[in-house]
Amino acid sequence: MGDEQATEPMSAEDGQPVELLFPGGSEMARRMRAYPWSGTSMGDPGTWPASLRTACRICLTSRFPMIVWWGEELRFLYNDAYLPLLGSKHPALAKPGDEVWTEIWHTIGPMLRSVMSSGEATWSEDLLLPMNRHGYWEETYWTYSYSPLHDDDGVVRGVFTAVSDTTERFIGERRLAVLQDLGSQAGQARSVAEACRLVAETLERSGADVPFSAIYLRRPGTDDLTPAATSPRDASVSPLPGGPGDWPVDQVLRTGEPVVVTDVAERFGALPSGGWQTPPTQAVVLPLAGETGGGMVGVMVLAAGAGRALDEAYESFLGLVARQTAALVNAAVAYQLQQRRAEELAELDRAKTAFFSNISHEFRTPLTLIMGPVEELRTALAGNGERVGEDRLRAELDVVHRNGLRLGKLVNTLLDFSRIEAGRMRARYEPVDLAAVTTDLAGVFRSAVEKAGLAFEVDCPPLDEPVYVDRGMWEKVVLNLLSNALKFTFDGSVRVALRAEDGNAVVTVADTGIGISRHELPRLFERFHRVDSARSRSNEGSGIGLALVKELVGLHGGTITAESAEGAGTAFTIRLPFGSAHLPSDGLVPVRPTDTELTTAAAPYVEEALRWLPEGPESREDEAGTSGSASPSAGGPRPRILVADDNADMRDYLRRLLRPAYEVDVVTDGQAALEAVRADAPDLVVSDVMMPRLDGLRLVAALRADPRTAAVPVLLLSARAGQEAGIEGLDAGADDYLVKPFSADELLARVRATVDRARLRAHHLRWHAAMIESLQEAFFVADENGAVIEVNSAFADIVGYGPEGLPYLPRHPWLPAEADDPVTYRRLAEAYERVTSHGSGGCVVPLRHSDGHQIWVAATFVAVADPGTGERRIVGTLRDVTAEHYLVQRETALAALSVRVSEAGSVSDALTGALEELREVWRARDVTAALWHGEAEPALFRACPATETKIGTETGWLDLPAELRDRLAELRDYPPLRPVASEADGAGISLEHPAGILTLWIDLGQNRPFTAEDQTLLALLTGHLGQGLHRVHQLDQQREAAVALQRAILGPSHLPAGFAVRYEPATRPLEVGGDWYDIVPLPDERIGIVVGDCVGRGLEAAAVMGQLRSACRALLLQEAGPAQVLTALDKFAALVPGARCTTVFCGVLDSTTGRLVYSSAGHLPGILAHPDGGTELLEGGRSTPLAVRPGHPRPEDVRTMPARSTLLLYTDGLVERRRSPLTRGIDQASAAVQDGRSAPIEDLATQVMRRMAPDTGYSDDVALLLYRQPAPLEVAFPAESSQLAPVRTALRDWLNRCELNPTMIQNILVAAGEACANAIEHGHRDAPGHTVRLRAVATAGDLYLTVADSGNWKPPRPEANTHRGRGVALMRALMQRVTIRPGAAGTTVDMHARIPR
Amino acid sequence: MTTPLTMVPSRRPDGTPVLTVSGEIDMSNAGELDAALSGASVDGHALLVDLSEVEYLDSAGLTVLFAHAPRIELVANDLLAPVLTISGLVQVTTVHGMES
Repeated sequence: MGDEQATEPMSAEDGQPVELLFPGGSEMARRMRAYPWSGTSMGDPGTWPASLRTACRICLTSRFPMIVWWGEELRFLYNDAYLPLLGSKHPALAKPGDEVWTEIWHTIGPMLRSVMSSGEATWSEDLLLPMNRHGYWEETYWTYSYSPLHDDDGVVRGVFTAVSDTTERFIGERRLAVLQDLGSQAGQARSVAEACRLVAETLERSGADVPFSAIYLRRPGTDDLTPAATSPRDASVSPLPGGPGDWPVDQVLRTGEPVVVTDVAERFGALPSGGWQTPPTQAVVLPLAGETGGGMVGVMVLAAGAGRALDEAYESFLGLVARQTAALVNAAVAYQLQQRRAEELAELDRAKTAFFSNISHEFRTPLTLIMGPVEELRTALAGNGERVGEDRLRAELDVVHRNGLRLGKLVNTLLDFSRIEAGRMRARYEPVDLAAVTTDLAGVFRSAVEKAGLAFEVDCPPLDEPVYVDRGMWEKVVLNLLSNALKFTFDGSVRVALRAEDGNAVVTVADTGIGISRHELPRLFERFHRVDSARSRSNEGSGIGLALVKELVGLHGGTITAESAEGAGTAFTIRLPFGSAHLPSDGLVPVRPTDTELTTAAAPYVEEALRWLPEGPESREDEAGTSGSASPSAGGPRPRILVADDNADMRDYLRRLLRPAYEVDVVTDGQAALEAVRADAPDLVVSDVMMPRLDGLRLVAALRADPRTAAVPVLLLSARAGQEAGIEGLDAGADDYLVKPFSADELLARVRATVDRARLRAHHLRWHAAMIESLQEAFFVADENGAVIEVNSAFADIVGYGPEGLPYLPRHPWLPAEADDPVTYRRLAEAYERVTSHGSGGCVVPLRHSDGHQIWVAATFVAVADPGTGERRIVGTLRDVTAEHYLVQRETALAALSVRVSEAGSVSDALTGALEELREVWRARDVTAALWHGEAEPALFRACPATETKIGTETGWLDLPAELRDRLAELRDYPPLRPVASEADGAGISLEHPAGILTLWIDLGQNRPFTAEDQTLLALLTGHLGQGLHRVHQLDQQREAAVALQRAILGPSHLPAGFAVRYEPATRPLEVGGDWYDIVPLPDERIGIVVGDCVGRGLEAAAVMGQLRSACRALLLQEAGPAQVLTALDKFAALVPGARCTTVFCGVLDSTTGRLVYSSAGHLPGILAHPDGGTELLEGGRSTPLAVRPGHPRPEDVRTMPARSTLLLYTDGLVERRRSPLTRGIDQASAAVQDGRSAPIEDLATQVMRRMAPDTGYSDDVALLLYRQPAPLEVAFPAESSQLAPVRTALRDWLNRCELNPTMIQNILVAAGEACANAIEHGHRDAPGHTVRLRAVATAGDLYLTVADSGNWKPPRPEANTHRGRGVALMRALMQRVTIRPGAAGTTVDMHARIPR
Repeated sequence: MTTPLTMVPSRRPDGTPVLTVSGEIDMSNAGELDAALSGASVDGHALLVDLSEVEYLDSAGLTVLFAHAPRIELVANDLLAPVLTISGLVQVTTVHGMES
């Protein structure tokens, strides 16, 4: 830094030398002195306020970093101590503050400004400032204060800042916090791994001081280190390939000394930085010391943060971290040790408990077998002096003896143990020929082993030197091992071998038994530990035999090991050193003569072993107890008891006790018991709790789990006393529980009670079952899933599915498939739904019997809750209603068929109705009938769903499927009324039809059987149908004849134009009655009109009517006037019975003029409706009914019908109503005609009949005749233009008769002319000479014209043919409506014009 | 049988040529009318076609009259009025004798 700025020293104006103003030799003092102040806003220092000058002096002379900010621009003055903080910003003297600290101005600027404005000082503590003052970027912390500087006038002009370095204190505090944090973890970890994790988590929070750490733990007893935890947790740090290597953890473990690693980056690359900008470069690897006296527990790597140099303080901090960590790990180790010890103690406690429990069993069983027989013998002896047989006595005493031995052996074993435990076992070691001794011992077991069916190999060649053993102890060793081998070996061999090997006598006892699992092997010799074996000859055993063996071998300075493979066998190997050097000298004794006690000591082992074998001595005593007198159940078969015990003596004893009263079977373990019960359930199971394979508790559980055996009562026997054991047994489901030793009386009492209880229970069950079985209805129970779980025998009878097939899961086999019979399916679903919602339900449905035939059942369901379990059950009954169903079906079907046939108006109606009925009866898809009458193709009749082709007409024979055609054709070959059913989908039959042979086929459309009952029904129904058809056919013929006759006498079949008639007979099906009408065309366009009414109704009246009508017609044709006609008719009627009082209206109409001459014989007046809306009655010319005054002249009247008026003649049936005057009916009829005066005449007739009809229909004959004047004009002419004028003339005449005005006439003439011209024109072109028809009809208010030809009109196109287009346009203009309908047969023009009033 | 139709040519005192038509005109005799109209001597006058005695005139007759419209004038009666009006003939030629 040069002094180039300093040109010359300045002097203050007040004469104060610059040396005083900027004192000292510091760099900044020199710079300030040299600074050209006068060129700045601060001015010459001589002008500075005293406070600024003072501040400068303090600043320059202080060793604290200090700054003076001056003036509005806060110009920057500072001392040497501040230089490191300023770093490369130096020199910055007198620069504006915001130029110096640009990057933090947003923070400090406002602070400074606030000091300037408020005059109040600020205080900032421990501000982090990264600094590179020692060759690296370190974290530094500073505390500073901004104080105001006033000028001489008291105005704040600047800020004074003193700064102090707090780095050491701050970091020290932070590290302390880390250590405290670590310390606070003490006592939390339950394991070493957890301790390491806690340390790592703590250090992860302390990344500034320990950016990375790793803990390696030493595996106990080795020098292997395994990584246990890192911080950060997911740090992945591994040595770079080709680098200097991994952390020197092994070295640290070896030396116990920390190692500083300074090439961290070279070894690993970038470690986690802990928040610093650069990753750590240094780390310390530290040992984790163990507890005092112990080795190291591990090694710890702690990286140093880049923010601080790894100085002594840092190292000591990291050392403390390691120590804390070690303390935490050690505490966890200690905790785990303590925990393990506690667990071991608990385990020992558990084993002891088990031991005492077992030992109790071991004691109690023989105790029971001693006490029991002794008690029995005592009773026998003390009783009524009954003499006990010698055999029995011996047998009982043998049992007592055996069990006494067993108890003795047990006590000896326990004593041995307690002696060994107490260290008081005194062995007497004598040199023996181990081969001989061992062979002898093995020999004792030979019979037992061979009896068990095993090979027994003893391979003990003599040894060269004797072995020092205590004979008694050695016996126990060998006998225990042999006994063990026999107990667990079921096939193969037991082998005893002796060899000399490496200065040891080596004895091997090997078997080919079930072996010991690997995890059990280490605990084999543990006291009280009983190996859980899959299978053994006996479950007896105290769990101390092998432990004792080990202790005894140990007393001989020898070892015992075991090797085993599951399923292959076990081999025990004992090694006894030769010589006596390893034995206490005071225990050595000289050779003694052969110990006579040998057999005594061995006997219990052998005896016990023999009792495990299947064919034990128990068979001797089979009959021993049969002489017993007590028999608990008088009468009936003796209850059967199954005894399960692995102890043969116990089995014998129990058998002996129970034999007198019960059938007794015995088995040796729970599994055998389970199988026996499943095969044939006894009345009671008496079972020991502790047994091989399947113990008593599991036996009970297995029995209860199986519904077939759940009810079998079980009495458990156990040696394990105490309430808990009892509860355990009852919990498992045992019915009773008896603790050994028990007295014979107690056992018998319990057995009897249990058996009786069970029998009572069984009785209830049987009663329940018998009741259900006695039901004649099928009975079933279904669970909530619908599975049928119980059925009675009636169910099996009715439905064909018996209890052997239970459970029946849905869909039940007796139900039809939904697709086959949706109706049944739906009914059942609905019934089931009702059960679910209402608790009960029922339906009648068809089911399928197991043999395939269909049955109908009435089913009822009730939902109930199982009283035992609370589960929902559905109980149901099914009643076989097949016969009833078919009876009802037959009756119903017959009745329905009869109704159908009787309602039919014709044979074909009857047939189609019957087919519909058949379809309904069988819910068939369709029913098709073919009527064969000679022709190749028969006539068809069908009944099928409404959606398909409707009956008969549309479907032709060839439209039928070929299969159906074949079936219908084949049926002709069968005799009539013999049903032919197909396999699955339908049936057919033939019958005689009046017109030939009828064959019909019922298509069920689904896989549904057509049962025998169905066939019967079909034959029955078709038989009736055949008869019905013939009956209908006869009626048909009669009716046809009658109708033809009736029509002949009723009236003309062809009416002249302008007339409409109606006839409504009162008596159906007659179509005639006493009323009539007649219209008689006469010469000169005159028409005779008659309406008459004979007295009475029905056929008789019709006969009279027929004669009168004919007579009347004949008279009219003779040109007689109406009065003449009626007068003549008077005479005629007088001659005809029943014709008197007939009323007749007779008129003669001139159709050209409308002039009507008429006479009435007491008939109702005609009604004339005028086109203007008025009506009048034709009441003139009236006289008496026929034949009342014969010969009396009749009057005549004349009325000319106005143009477009309408005449109504009628009989009284139209207008006569009860309780209503006739005039009212006439008025109503008048109104009806009048209202319809503009309707076409046919329409008017329909309207009047409908309007006048009473609600219940006409009760009397009605005849009605309508005529409108003039009658319609109908002209047919050849299509020639010359015809136009005459046609026009005819039309003009007719229009004049219609009394229209001349303009309208002219318009209609032109319109009609145009239509005719068109017709003619087309006729010329397409079919010359064809006929054109013109028809004109007038009503009161309308005129209709129709011109029809047989040609085709072109659509009007004026541009192509202005002439024709003009014609059509004229038509449209002149008429109200013109419709041109071109058709294949010709063109029709309809025109309508309204007639103005 | 042809529709009755008579046509009488004449001339008014002022020299106007007149064709007096009586009867009915339809497609069977429209040709005769056409011929008569074509053959009438008019000497530069408009031909006055007197239809007052015509009882029927349809589109065939109208077509003939339309064809000759530029050189004829008509005398009509009330019966023919609707047809002449509707066809539009009144718009292309002068019609006398109609009330409305």
